[in-house]
Amino acid sequence: MITVNGAFATRLDDIQSQVGTSVTVRPAGSFGGGFFERGGDNNGGGANGGNTNGGNTNGGNNSGTSADPAASTQPPTTLADQDVNKVTAISHVVSVSSQMTARYSGTGLESAVQPRQGANPAAPAPQAGAGGGFRRAILVTGTDDPASLAALGVQSAQLTSGRTFDASESNADVAVLGQALADHNRLKVGDTVPINGTTFQVIGIFTSGTQFGDNSLFVPLTTAQTVFNRPGEIDQAVVKADTASDVDQVATDIRQALGQGNVDVVTEQTIFQAITAPLSDAKDSSRLGMIAALGASAVVILFSIGLVARQRVKEIGILKAIGASNWHVTAQLGVETAVISVTAAILGALSTFPLAQKVANGLLSSPSTPTGGRRGQAFGAVAGRAGGLLGSVNVAVSPEIFLYALAIAIGLALIATVVPAWYVGRVRPAEVLRYE
Amino acid sequence: MNEQTEANNGYIAVANDLVKHFQSGPSRVRAVNGVSFRIPSGRIVAVRGASGCGKSTLLNLIGALDKPDSGELRVDGVDVPRLTGAPEVAYRRRKVGFVFQQFNLISHLSALENVKLPMELEGDSKRASDEVASALLRQVGLADELHRRRPAKLSGGEQQRVAIARALANNPPIILADEPTANLDSKTGRLIIDLLQALRRDDRTVIIATHDVEVAAKADAILEMSDGQIVSRSGG
Repeated sequence: MITVNGAFATRLDDIQSQVGTSVTVRPAGSFGGGFFERGGDNNGGGANGGNTNGGNTNGGNNSGTSADPAASTQPPTTLADQDVNKVTAISHVVSVSSQMTARYSGTGLESAVQPRQGANPAAPAPQAGAGGGFRRAILVTGTDDPASLAALGVQSAQLTSGRTFDASESNADVAVLGQALADHNRLKVGDTVPINGTTFQVIGIFTSGTQFGDNSLFVPLTTAQTVFNRPGEIDQAVVKADTASDVDQVATDIRQALGQGNVDVVTEQTIFQAITAPLSDAKDSSRLGMIAALGASAVVILFSIGLVARQRVKEIGILKAIGASNWHVTAQLGVETAVISVTAAILGALSTFPLAQKVANGLLSSPSTPTGGRRGQAFGAVAGRAGGLLGSVNVAVSPEIFLYALAIAIGLALIATVVPAWYVGRVRPAEVLRYE
Repeated sequence: MNEQTEANNGYIAVANDLVKHFQSGPSRVRAVNGVSFRIPSGRIVAVRGASGCGKSTLLNLIGALDKPDSGELRVDGVDVPRLTGAPEVAYRRRKVGFVFQQFNLISHLSALENVKLPMELEGDSKRASDEVASALLRQVGLADELHRRRPAKLSGGEQQRVAIARALANNPPIILADEPTANLDSKTGRLIIDLLQALRRDDRTVIIATHDVEVAAKADAILEMSDGQIVSRSGG
């Protein structure tokens, strides 16, 4: 339990240190309504479709800094380049990456995911599949940060073939497809696929290990804005602060710069607190288990030593009768207790450490990571990374852990010595030898 | 005779009106009821009486294994009832050696280790205690090949010899023997009494609690006890 608890604590620290500096900025109201909760599709049946997002027609660049008084009462539905510029200017901001998402259910590319039976009627309209059934829309993400697919809403994404796009291809008609989407449409690297009248070349195929994640594709941000007729619009910006301690201040400054009511600003700390809840729960459980195990061990040792002292009361009486002091007898019992406890600790550790990984896996239930799902793409992106980290809790037995266990065993032995010490002090030789 | 004994006018043990009660269920039993005696140094004294007359309790009081409820007891100049803590431990280690009816050897130690134990408690070196313990075991007649045996591998007589050797380990002036022959056959019992008698040669005082008339007959003096009281005295 010490090992398991230590592994959970280490993993939580790792997650905090790895992902704790990101701040996600989206138009107000975007968080909590994800891809499937949002409005109509951006498909035009070959032509540029309607410019809708979140059910609201985008009237242009409604940043929180608009001079129009009406803008302050009706939050914007998208961010704009100038908003990104304001964020970039904030101190402690290291980088800002922008993404735009659109759902596509037009011709030429068919979703690999079928909607559930009795699905929420408020959900987006499914598309008519080639076989006559209904299918979900495909998530298309435009991003200016193609370096890491993990940042784009897919967890632990790995390219299975091809490559991702680079900065020089910000206007290129290239796409990286999810494995499920590629398989369903029988596409491979080098093939082309039409989206809203633009022919994209498939340059890479990735897998995220989830059906939803693999039912999406990624294109350069500017290309996406053009194809879906949303020039200059951004659905979210991911801001990196220089240190974890600056994250909260950066989030505050962003809210101030863009208008408190205009944007939702969520730090990864917040998201990860939710995402790592299973890990935290498991850590709490393992800590409780550790305390219970220590308590049980202490009780067992105390009773055992007490019992041993009682069974050896005659020996104690003899020793005292021939001139042994309480200290002598207690020391003898204490040394014996310590030797037994340390031996038991070593044997126990050697026999139970191999089981620690299984205990950890048992305590850590698989978290449901909403990749590209109900809690928004940004949430999904961070959650995806968190999920990946959660799944990799590795229980290793370090020398420190071993020494820690040993120290606890010796501590318990010392505490257990209190019982014989108290008992030995009470033994009157004449009494115990009289009733032998 | 040492200075302390001289201070007690040649008596190594002097008791005045010793009383010791025991709680036995709801009733309070007077195990030792106003006992007074004077025991000269270098004698064998038998405390004789039926089982339960209080003789073992009297030996426990002399050996500081128990405390009297009232009365005075001085042994080799030491005010025994007032002993507590380190002086009490030192008294048990240096002034008296106990020989029990049940031998009371430490079962997981060898005969030699049992005899060494009081010396090790006293802080003697391993080598010195080894030599003295071996010599004592030879003195009480235990063959060398038995020195490394544990008590369970020794006969009753051999165990009692080991117990006597242990009692002599720190060379105490008084040996207290509580029914030392009760668990032995008569022949072995006689050998043990002869052994205890031999200790007198070193000006050592031996107090033997016994119900055996034959054993008591070999003592220099006899204190006859009944119902916690000394009812008669005989001999020197």
